[in-house]
Amino acid sequence: MELRKTTVHRVAEAVLEGEITAHQLIDKTLKNCSVLNEGLNIFNAVAGVDATEQARAIDEKIKQGGELPLAGIPITVKDDLCYGVLPTSFGSSAFSEFISPVTAAVVESLMEAGAVVIGKTNLDDMGQGSTTLTSPGGATANPWQAERTAGSAGAAAVATGICMLAVESDSGGALRQGASHCGVAGLRPTTGRVSRHGLNAHCSSFARVGITAFSCENISGVLDIISGFDERDAATAVCRKGIPEIIKTPGSEDITIGYPVTAFDFLQPELREVFEQARDDFAGLGYKIKNIDLGLLREGLQAYYIIALAEASSNHARFDGIRFGKTGEADNLENMYFQSRAEILGKEARRRSIFGTFLLSKGNYGRYYRQALKIWELIRQEFAGVLKECDLLMLPTAKNLPRQLKGEVSFLDEWSDDFFCAPVSLSGMPALTIPAGQVNRIPVGMQLVGPPFSEKTLLAVGSTSGPRDTGTL
Amino acid sequence: MKYEVVIGLEVHVELLTGCKLFCACPNRFVPEPNVNTCPVCLGFPGILPQMSREALQQALTAAVALNCKVALYSYFDRKNYFYPDMPKGYQISQYHIPLGSSGYLEIEDDRGVLKKVGIGRVHMEEDAGKLLHETAGASGGSSMVDYNRAGVPLIEIVSEPDLRSSLEARRYLEKLKSIMQYAGVSDCKMEEGSLRCDANVSLRNPGEEIFGIKTELKNMNSFRAVEKSLDHEIKRQAGILDSGEKVATQTLRWDEDRQETIVMRGKLEADDYRCFADPELAPIQLAETEVEKARHNLPEMAGERAKRFVEEYGLPEYDAGVLTASRCLADYFESCLEFFNKPKEVSNWVMGEFSAHLNNAGLEADQASFVPEDMAELLQMIDNQEISGKIAKEVLEKAFQGGKKPRRVVEEEGLLQISDQSELESIVDRIISENPDTVESYRGGKSKALGHLVGQVMKETRGKANPQLVNELLVKKIDSQ
Repeated sequence: MELRKTTVHRVAEAVLEGEITAHQLIDKTLKNCSVLNEGLNIFNAVAGVDATEQARAIDEKIKQGGELPLAGIPITVKDDLCYGVLPTSFGSSAFSEFISPVTAAVVESLMEAGAVVIGKTNLDDMGQGSTTLTSPGGATANPWQAERTAGSAGAAAVATGICMLAVESDSGGALRQGASHCGVAGLRPTTGRVSRHGLNAHCSSFARVGITAFSCENISGVLDIISGFDERDAATAVCRKGIPEIIKTPGSEDITIGYPVTAFDFLQPELREVFEQARDDFAGLGYKIKNIDLGLLREGLQAYYIIALAEASSNHARFDGIRFGKTGEADNLENMYFQSRAEILGKEARRRSIFGTFLLSKGNYGRYYRQALKIWELIRQEFAGVLKECDLLMLPTAKNLPRQLKGEVSFLDEWSDDFFCAPVSLSGMPALTIPAGQVNRIPVGMQLVGPPFSEKTLLAVGSTSGPRDTGTL
Repeated sequence: MKYEVVIGLEVHVELLTGCKLFCACPNRFVPEPNVNTCPVCLGFPGILPQMSREALQQALTAAVALNCKVALYSYFDRKNYFYPDMPKGYQISQYHIPLGSSGYLEIEDDRGVLKKVGIGRVHMEEDAGKLLHETAGASGGSSMVDYNRAGVPLIEIVSEPDLRSSLEARRYLEKLKSIMQYAGVSDCKMEEGSLRCDANVSLRNPGEEIFGIKTELKNMNSFRAVEKSLDHEIKRQAGILDSGEKVATQTLRWDEDRQETIVMRGKLEADDYRCFADPELAPIQLAETEVEKARHNLPEMAGERAKRFVEEYGLPEYDAGVLTASRCLADYFESCLEFFNKPKEVSNWVMGEFSAHLNNAGLEADQASFVPEDMAELLQMIDNQEISGKIAKEVLEKAFQGGKKPRRVVEEEGLLQISDQSELESIVDRIISENPDTVESYRGGKSKALGHLVGQVMKETRGKANPQLVNELLVKKIDSQ
């Protein structure tokens, strides 16, 4: 069974009906996994025996008549999400053997539905980045062009068919850009739709847990399973009385797609052409295209980084060698902190903590942090305003093609890759990235952004645009 | 004193909730370290806090009890600092918008005039863990951390710099404690750390508008220590000013053993806590009706209760004042009435003997093993003339210390009053025949002489005789002779 060419629904059905056992499926997946991992560096930890046992248990449940909508579906989990069975590194070499006492809510829900965790996927230094270039274990290579980065290891796992669903986190765009770079679909849900319990966020305000999959249909198949109120995450209180879905059906209803004309001016011409083509294709499918204006993208990126750095300096303060991480050898407390934190945090995480500390310090709070909060509010208003004029809007996902693994790039240039993703994070709106086309055989994705809780509309529209990856891996 | 003293107090009060502020761990003292902990209060990565509604309710009650304006919208901030007592590397507190502000409480000033002391803010925060430092051996000392207390809900109550003497500071604390206890939000036991107090103190010339340079005092473990350390600090600052020098901005620690203040840190080391809104917690939103409800449901405070004691139970104002000074004692008094409804008698015994034993044992009324039912049983026995008041004092003492029921003490010690006429008659006859002179002087009109005879009978029966009956029998017998 070629996982890339089928659907989650179809595979689960095959397992439930006994065409293949979960055990056989996972066994095959694990073999596949070790071959591909060697070349691409996808995994921080592979489940191995644990996955096999999980699969056996699922086969047993099926025998006893268990209804498992995700029976045997292999999934990967980004390594900033806790999973009580395998180590959770958070993107630090100091935590390569850390076993969390909890399992992330999303992973729990998927496993209850029959999914099998096959491994924990690579990520940037303390989860901070959209490239994997700062990972303590080295970057994950792009399955389409191995000298470039995958952006996200989970997306690479999906693209290569190692797994069918990748559980990913997304603050400034890691999930979306990874999916974009690997030619697959990825959903960053609305604030409060999906529980973040078990996610070690470097930036709590913007971190969300989402799903990357080969198709929109596959994401649709698990959206209800991972959505809803969870008392362990206060933000999900908006879903306490059910999820306030906004559903529009393409074909039977008029759907207007907003096209922020000036946004595309920030792109290289060859990328711009991809989106103009995608826009025309949408028009060809019967969608109404409406030119709109989004004027605050640049400010949004800056505000995102100010807030994200500030929060990281606080969120990561616990990694001080007292409770968490190796305790540094020193003759006094201050030196012990220096030693411990130098070992736990990599260069990027240290940089972000130092910047964040600076941004929150006396005087700078008003100069930078408070200003960023104001921009955040303006962005929310701008997106809300625009989404009154249209049902959803399209935006590029990544500003650039995936970075070269060996190229020298300044951290500011890397941060600016989030140009189109970070402002969407600030807006709180859900965003779906789907393949838009290719440039030099490298996939390019676009975001569909809708009002809060319009995920089902986005996925429906996304699936009408068809599989746009014409090439093969 | 030629200077005007300016004091402001920052008081931390531990709330009486069942759970910690952001997790389900019990809010209860246990001696064993790191027992009341969970991934939330240990700050495990990926685990989110959830605010306890109970803590919010209690903080709201405290804020309205202190006449504060309540913020309908507030939120938690993070106070960032590196120190091992906080597992997360920050303390969750309210910095930018406190739950309560612009409140006050009333105390008597040095001349006995009622004065309002402003309360700048009342905000919620979590407590830190406890550090235990072992003194250095050959290999250097070590420090241990106990996180049982980490995450316990506190409210911080910051007064305006309205206090003008150490005595006022003490009265402020006593009043605050009474209000918190009556509001039912804290037991405020300073010795156990459920009330902690820091003081800011400065001096200025009378009539001056600008405050002098202040110092901060910490580590005061009793109301007495607060008063003493303030006196010490006022004297120290006055000495500096007298000599024409400037007071240095410092944080000082009160050393109970040496009875003096010791410098902890100077201004250069002042911290920057980089406070910002905690992005993991939802903002605190209250409806106007909730605040009104909290005000409306506010439990009766000491003054109102004293007034009610006078009106409802007919107690003298003095009794009502003494009984309601501590909520515990007032509760004890009212519980006794449920079983024995003679308010003045209960009042006499609760204020007198019972309170004396409490003071000796250093206990609060709710900690005594001599519970209200016991008090009622004791008073009922007096009322039934089974024991005399004098015997009752003895019984109370034994029951208080031994934890026995009063009736059992009476039975075991054979203290029941003798009300049997025939039993007493023979003793009365003997006493009359043994004291002919006294009998004579009674007959001669000296009524005091009868008292002497009663005393003799009481002595004979070791206090157990019913004095009224003895009196009657003596009069009857002498008259009939």
